[in-house]
Order: sequence, then structure tokens, then C-alpha cells
Amino acid sequence: MKTVSLTIDGKKITARPGEKLLRVALENSIYIPNLCAIRDKPEPSASCRLCFVEIEGGEEPVTACTIDVTEGMVVNTRGEKALALVRAGFELLMASHALDCAHCPANGNCELQKIARHLKASLKTKRLRLLLRELPIDDSNPLFTYDPNKCVLCGRCVWVCRQNIKSGVFGFAHRGFERVMTTFADEPIGADRCLDCSQCVEVCPTGALSFKEGKRPSTEDG
Amino acid sequence: MKVIKQTTAAAAFHEIKERAESHWRELWHDKPVIMVGTATCGRAAGAPDVLQAFRDEVKKRKLDCPVIEVGCMGHCYAEPIVIISKPGYPPICYGYVNPVIAERLVKEFILGDNPCPEFVIGALEANDLLPSFDDFPRAQHEQKIILKNCGHIDPTEIEHYIAGGGYNALAKTLGTKPEDIVEEVKRSGLRGRGGAGFPVGRKWQYCREAPGRTKYIICNADEGDPGAFMDRSILESDPHSVIEGMIIAGYAIGARYGYIYIRAEYPLAVERIQIALKQAKKLNLLGNHILGSSFNFDIILFHGSGAFVCGEATALAASIEGKPGTPRPKPPRMTAAGLFGKPTVVNNVKTLAFIPLIIRNGTEWFTGTGTKNSPGTAVFALAGKIVNTGLVEVPMGTTLRQIIFEVGSGIPKGKKFKAVQIGGPSGGCLPESALDLPVDFDSLQEVGAIMGSGGMVVLDEDDCMVEIARYFLEFTQRESCGKCTFCRLGTKQMLEVLNDFTMGKGAMEDIDSLERLAGEVKAGSLCGLGQTAPNPILTTLRYFRDEYEAHIELGKCPALMCQHLIAYYILPDKCERSCDACVGSCTVEAISPNKKRIKVIDQTQCVKCGTCLAACPPQYNAIVKLSPPSEVPAK
Amino acid sequence: MTASKQETTTEEREQIKQETGQILNGFSRKRPGLIPILQKVQGKLGYLPREAMTAIAEYLDIPAIDVYGVVTFYNQFRLNPPGRHSIKVCLGTVCHMKGGYITLDAWKRRLGISPRETTDDREFDLDTVACVGCCTMAPVTVVDDKPEGVVEPTRVDGILLAFGYERETKDKEKSESD
Ligand SMILES: Cc1cc2nc3c(=O)[nH]c(=O)nc-3n(C[C@H](O)[C@H](O)[C@H](O)COP(=O)(O)O)c2cc1C
Ligand code: SF4
Ligand code: SF4
Ligand code: FES
Repeated sequence: MKTVSLTIDGKKITARPGEKLLRVALENSIYIPNLCAIRDKPEPSASCRLCFVEIEGGEEPVTACTIDVTEGMVVNTRGEKALALVRAGFELLMASHALDCAHCPANGNCELQKIARHLKASLKTKRLRLLLRELPIDDSNPLFTYDPNKCVLCGRCVWVCRQNIKSGVFGFAHRGFERVMTTFADEPIGADRCLDCSQCVEVCPTGALSFKEGKRPSTEDG
Repeated sequence: MKVIKQTTAAAAFHEIKERAESHWRELWHDKPVIMVGTATCGRAAGAPDVLQAFRDEVKKRKLDCPVIEVGCMGHCYAEPIVIISKPGYPPICYGYVNPVIAERLVKEFILGDNPCPEFVIGALEANDLLPSFDDFPRAQHEQKIILKNCGHIDPTEIEHYIAGGGYNALAKTLGTKPEDIVEEVKRSGLRGRGGAGFPVGRKWQYCREAPGRTKYIICNADEGDPGAFMDRSILESDPHSVIEGMIIAGYAIGARYGYIYIRAEYPLAVERIQIALKQAKKLNLLGNHILGSSFNFDIILFHGSGAFVCGEATALAASIEGKPGTPRPKPPRMTAAGLFGKPTVVNNVKTLAFIPLIIRNGTEWFTGTGTKNSPGTAVFALAGKIVNTGLVEVPMGTTLRQIIFEVGSGIPKGKKFKAVQIGGPSGGCLPESALDLPVDFDSLQEVGAIMGSGGMVVLDEDDCMVEIARYFLEFTQRESCGKCTFCRLGTKQMLEVLNDFTMGKGAMEDIDSLERLAGEVKAGSLCGLGQTAPNPILTTLRYFRDEYEAHIELGKCPALMCQHLIAYYILPDKCERSCDACVGSCTVEAISPNKKRIKVIDQTQCVKCGTCLAACPPQYNAIVKLSPPSEVPAK
Repeated sequence: MTASKQETTTEEREQIKQETGQILNGFSRKRPGLIPILQKVQGKLGYLPREAMTAIAEYLDIPAIDVYGVVTFYNQFRLNPPGRHSIKVCLGTVCHMKGGYITLDAWKRRLGISPRETTDDREFDLDTVACVGCCTMAPVTVVDDKPEGVVEPTRVDGILLAFGYERETKDKEKSESD
């Protein structure tokens, strides 16, 4: 099979043509912050705006999840311009995130914490104001809890749910700042068609979807 | 262009044209005709009553005088507008017509020979009797190409359009190879009028050459800019020009179906498009085997449901597909994978209206107007603090000063020009110093604004630049689809900061941090909405930073507009004690007389609606606005 | 805006299902039909009740949340029955700069509700709209689909007075007969 070779952060890499830069980087152990990229989903949603990188010859940073790798591409994931944007995006997310790591079930296993470490950024933003929405928490499901105030709207749960149940339980509703991951008519998750497969909890990068105390399945395979 | 064979299309069209022309001649044959402008602007100003009055009067007097409805001539400031064409006179345009004037016009002009000069705005042709539009200073700059028919034909009569040369271009197109049409549009240098100015021919070529047999052409009639109504006016006044443009585009790119995506708030435009589509179909200008050729094409009307972001091409396609209008990243371009994943061209209403004219009159004719890189004309909806509000069409390259002061006749009430807002929520505010800029796609970009789709709002000394930035941001924030981080959260953050500024809150450092955030939202957002939303902030900061500083440092709104930073105050020595005008006018009963019967506003009650200021008789002029509110003397 | 909290009776629910069903029959079972269907159902019922949304989802064989997602995305759709009169304040650029926001304040004050809300007695809906194209008559308020020009706070009272007068007389008749 044909391959392309490219350079990411000075490291020479070969990849299949047509693959997305973000995937190639991650598979080669080069971390680029990301939340909305889903491995098997054909079209990237490119909504979290955290995967900005710089490509030689290009003027502005681009999102790695939307870029196909090409022969001879030279990528810098640590460019100042790109990182400034990633930091700004991250700060925006954190300014609207109900931050409470000490009591959060995702503590220690949270993508946001990982990104903060990667960026050497604080989880708390000083520059922006806190804009929290104080939406009700849904704990109607026997296995897990949904706290929309911790949701970053990445869409992973929506995607995985639809892979399992044709008529998905989750989706996005409302618009703009009010956009929310929710169920039909904002009804409790427990009451709906949910099969309790809890895969949504597995894929959630934050503490938005989290297992109830003692309900986390054993993780010998993970 | 090479004609491949003498097609039957030309012959079939010839017949249609003959009929239309005789119909048109008959309308004008030896009798007066009354044309009432009943586009939305006219309707709101009372045109339906005027129309009825004319009809009643003509009927009562049993006159042979057709009364027809036409679209918008662009002189919106003088609505309702009526044109009377009477043999022996030039066609005359009347403004501010009401039913009483209508009655008089029938009595004195149609029956008698007094053209009632007191109601005349201008004659449409030069003559010795009345001033004509050609004598107005604006005529020197105005050049009507796509607005030519607007207000002069009945948009519900396809014959009127055809008699004026309409659908000629379609007949010509059907006898030409599609790739030659694409080539012709490319050579014309036409750039999209939806805002970005993308070369139309190139877009068509991408789509034509994209693999696959199913392709679509979409007319973007979502016009969501809150200060613009050019597209609506064209759809209401000359719908066939857009339909003809679409059919030609469909032929050129190889589409079987086209969509018109029209804004829900435009019911009259919807109605007129529907009528126009039916008529075109009846004459076989649409449908199967158009004019006997092998080309089949149909147009589907899709009603938007109210979301500004759906003007963005990928969101628009999602909306037609039955999904929320959230944009997707590009590439792939729409011309590679658009509606239902098929190659698709999305063009603006005005862009499509240019097409028949270019095909009919040729590339040289088109490039003869405008600038080298932006040929043709630009249509603007002039609004705000300007004398002649309405639609104007001027060659690209006309300066802002000419548009505002000569075509628009300047600022009313002797006020001072402050800024002009171009391009709506994605555009910017330009100061006096930018007025000599020749307007085209590229020049505006250089000064931080964009051409946009043509909204042009003029602001005077009473308008606050912080407030206008806040207003546009409130709009984009409300209309953000919410998909991507920067736009969803960044616009909200910026709005909060601006809200504070208009209340005098915040620190000087906040200006810099706002500017930085604005730059980040511009660079980080997924689609054009978020990428351009900071423009109103960035341009006002660039040109009117001192106003921001006054708000923050002094708690003062120099334009006396921001409600939290002003107070209404009654000057005691000017108050005419026996007058009670303000007391009664106040909507919250905040005004009462003191012991000396001088009126005093209770500042804790006042909601700053300004009603009292308007109510105070001009000879006293005792009420003033003060900023900051602390300027109000304590007792 | 959240989902309808209106209590509907079984009878009403049946009625809604039936009317929605009738409209659905005119459409093919394809997703692109969703928005035209919603427009038509709302045109008939005045809003989109829960039962209508689930019936549409079933008909098109799509997740109900997708219908809800579309309904809550677009300005045009509503989840609650409309009031008897609709008040829409134009906040296009020109209307805004000429004091549309002051007019909106006046409406809010007088009706005691915010935009996109309905008064408790279901008499009035208050909403805003972006440019209705009558900029020359700014500030404009669209009252029951008719654009009214130069609506300043005093006109607000005038318009309400006209409605209120009508209502008061009705109320009086009612209380007298009680
Ligand atoms: C948020 C947003 C709103 C837009 N609204 C419109 C619109 O109302 N009408 C329009 O023609 N183009 C609009 N556009 C531009 C379209 O995306 C597209 O560029 C245009 O319709 C292409 O037509 P043109 O090439 O003829 O200009 C909008 C773009 C964005 C990002
Ligand atoms: S709940 Fe979790 S997985 Fe679902 S959208 Fe929110 S952050 Fe993503
Ligand atoms: S920029 Fe705004 S409108 Fe565009 S995708 Fe992002 S959130 Fe949606
Ligand atoms: S991973 Fe690229 S934008 Fe989210």
C-alpha cells in the first residue's frame, strides 16, 4: 500500500494517505489536545478547536483533526501561534466548566486535566469570567449520572449511543451558549430507551457522564 | 461563444417573446397606467390602502386606466410610491402618497391635466415640465443594472419581464455548450455578492468538473443581516431575474434541481417567487425539456426557519437535509461535497440576478462598469441617519462619501457624520477618514470591514460606538450555532465585557484583553460567523478607542446613548412652570412639580425612555441628557 | 425555552396525534421532510407539542431527540401554545439605534415578561425580530403580523390600551355575571 512520509515535531513518520493528521500524531505518541475527534467517525466535527497545529508553508494554525496528511508535510505541534489558540480555547471551555476536581469522579482520569498538564496551563482561568449555567443534574439512571455543567459538548457519547441503539437517546439541542447535550424534551435518561450499556460513560472525556458509586464495571480489559 | 446548432429553443422562445411584447404594448397603448409600489416597505407605509383608493377611484369614474402593482424602486424614504405614466407626459414618480392624494391624482391628473407637482419626487425621463431623476445629484453615481426592473414591472407578470429582454439569456444559453457558459462567466470576473466575493465562474467550474451526475444549485436568499433588505427587494420586485439566473447556472454546472433557500420572515417574497415559478413552468422555461431542448430543470422553494447561521453554505445545506444548521469544516468544499453530499453551487440572490445580464449583454459590457478586480455594480441598503434611506446601486469603486452624501443626501437634521457600518454583524464601523475609500471587495477588507451583502448603516453624533459594537455582538452571540468553542463561549465572554462597558463598569486593561480575545475568536472559530463576529469590536476599537475609554474611565457616554450612563434632567430656569407636557408624557410617572411648580425628574423612578424630552415643547427645550448621571445637580 | 409543561388532556393528545398524522400523510418518510413537516404542523397547531414531535420522529424513523434538536435550534419553532396576540419588537440595526431597545423595555415593563415568553393569561407573546425591512419607520413593532411604525413607549401604552379596553369590557361582563 502507498504511504506518505511526514515530519511531526522533528520526528519522521509514515502514514497512509488520506489519514487525518491528528490520528497519525496520536498513533505515533505525539499528543495533540483534542476532545471532539472520534476515531471511527468519518467526518470530523472540528468543534472543540483544541487541536491547532502549525504546518510549514501555511500562515495560520490549522486543526489537525481536519487535515489529511500529505507527502513531505512538516508539522509543528508546539508552535507559539498554535499553542496560543489552543490555550485560549481551553480557557474558554474552563471558564464555563463547573470546576470541582476534588469531588469529581473523573479526577485523575480526565482529559481536561491532561490538556492542562500538556499546556502547562491552570485549570482555573484568570483572564476570563466564569460563565456557568447551573443546569440540573440528571441521576435518574441506575448506573450513571449526567452533569451537563461539566459537559464540553464533544459529542462522543452521542456518537457511541447511536452505534448501539438505532434511535439514539442522546443528542444536541438548543443553540449558541444554550447548546446542550440532552435527551428528547430533556426527559430523564433513566426513563428513556437507554439500554444501560454505559458506553457513553466510558467515552466521556470529563466528569459529565460518570458512574455512580460502586457501579463502575471492572476494567480488566481497559 | 460558439453556437453548436440552431436550436429549437430560440424558435420556441421567439414565440413567447412576441406574445409578451404585444401584451406589454397593449398595456401602455394610448392610456394612462398607474403603478403602485407594493413591496414590503411600501406595504408597511400604507401602499395597500393607496392601491385600493386608486382602484376605487378608477372604477367609480369608469376609466380605462390599469392600476398595477410593482416592486420597490429603492426610494424607501418616500413610501408609498406611485408612478403614473400618461401619454403626452413623462412617467412621473410620486412620493408619500396616501388615499386622499390618490383620489386627487386621478381627478386632476388622469382626468385633467394637472400633474400635481407638489407630490412629485421626480420624472423618470428628462422633460421641460418637471425635474427628472437624471437632474438629481445621485443620478451621477447611480447605475441600475440588477435593480433596473425593480419598481417598473409587475413582478407577478412574467410577460413584463420577458418584454424587457428577460429569458433571452436562457434561450441563448440553451444553444450554447455548458462549458462555454462557465467560461463566459469566468471571463466576466463576476464575484459573489453574498459577502465573500468568491469568483463565480471558478465556483461553477469546480462544480461542473466534480465527479458525479447529481449536482445542485442553491440560491441563498436567507439574508440575515439585521440591517439589510436588498435580496428581499429583488425577490419581491423582479423574481424572474433570479430564477433565470438559476436556470442558467443549473445548465452550466449540470444540475437537475435547484433550491431557493428563503428566509421565513419574508412572506411576500415567498409568495412572489411561488407565482413566478408557476408562470415560468407554464411557459416551459422550467421543467422538462425547457424550450424544447434536452435540458430538464426544476426549482424547489425551501423556507428557512429563522437562524442567521443558515446563511453559511454548509449550515444551509444541513438545514435542507432536515438537520440543525450547524456548519461543518471545509474542505471538502461545497462544490465537491455539498447538499446530500453532492457537488453544489451556492450563490447569492444578487449574484444570480447578474447572470442573465452578463449572458445577454456580454462580458465586455459587464466589465465596463466597476473596478478591475471587482467588476459590475454594488447594491446597498442605505439606512440609519441618512436622508435617502433605501436601495442604491452604484458601480464598484464609488467612494463611501459619494454614496452617503451624494446618493444618500447626507445626514438629516444637520447632525454630524460619525461612522458608517458596512457588512452588518460581520462587518465594521468606518470613520470619516475612510470616506474617500473606493468601495470594492478588496479595499474594504484592508480597513477592517467587509463588503458583506450590502447593509450600510450611517451613524451620527448621537450614536455610541461602544453600543453599536455591543449590539452586533449581542446579535452574533444570539445567533451563534454553538457548535464550536470559540464562537459559543468567546462571543458570550466578549458580550459580557461590552455589557459592562456600556454600564461604565470595567477597567482600562479590559479593553486590551477584549481586543486579544476578539483576535482569538477570529482565528479560532470554525465558520465565518465566529470568524467575523469580532469585526465590529475590532474596528470600533481601532477607530473610536476614545469612546471606550470615556465609558470606562469617566463613566461617560459621549454620544449620550448608553442608558446606564445618562440621566434626563429638567433645567429649572428653562422649565415653563405652567406647562405640564412632560408630566403627562412620562410612562412611569417619575416627573412631578416642586413647590415652585418647576418639574423635577425622580431619578430613582426614571427608566430613561426619553419620552419627556420629546414631549417638552421646542420653544422651552428644558430637558437635557447628562452624562455621567452624576452631573445632575443635587437639589 | 424548555419542553412544554402544559398539561394536555388525553383527548387533546388524541387530537394532536390525529392532526399531525394527517399532515404526515402528505410527506414521504425522508429526513429532508423534517423542517417542512414541522412548519406545517406548527402552522396547524400553533406550536409543537410533545406528541406531535414523537409522531414525526416515528414517521421519519429518526431519534426523537433529533426532532427536539431541530425544534430548539430554529427561532421559528415553539414548544408552548402561543398567546392570543403576538408582539414582536424589531431589533434590526436601524430600529435598535433609533430606540427599539427602549421600546422593548416598555413592552417588558408593561407585559411583565421577557422576550420569548407568554403572559400568564396567555393574552400576549413578546418576541424580538431582526429587521422586517421597514427601517424608515423605526422603531417598529410588529403587532399581530402588522408592522406598526414609530412605536415609542407612549405608543406601547396606546396599543395596549386598545387591546385592554377590549379585554376589560369582556372581563367586566364576566365578573358581573358571576
Ligand atoms: C454566518 C454567515 C451568514 C451568511 N449569510 C448569507 C446570506 O444571508 N446570504 C448570502 O447570500 N450569503 C450569506 N453568507 C455567505 C454564504 O456562505 C456564501 O458565501 C454565499 O451565499 C455564496 O454566494 P456568492 O458566491 O454568490 O456570494 C453567509 C455566511 C456566513 C458565514
Ligand atoms: S457528556 Fe461527555 S461525552 Fe457527552 S458531549 Fe458532554 S463531554 Fe462529551
Ligand atoms: S463559528 Fe459559531 S456559528 Fe460557526 S460553527 Fe462555530 S459556533 Fe457555530
Ligand atoms: S479535535 Fe480537532 S477540533 Fe476538536
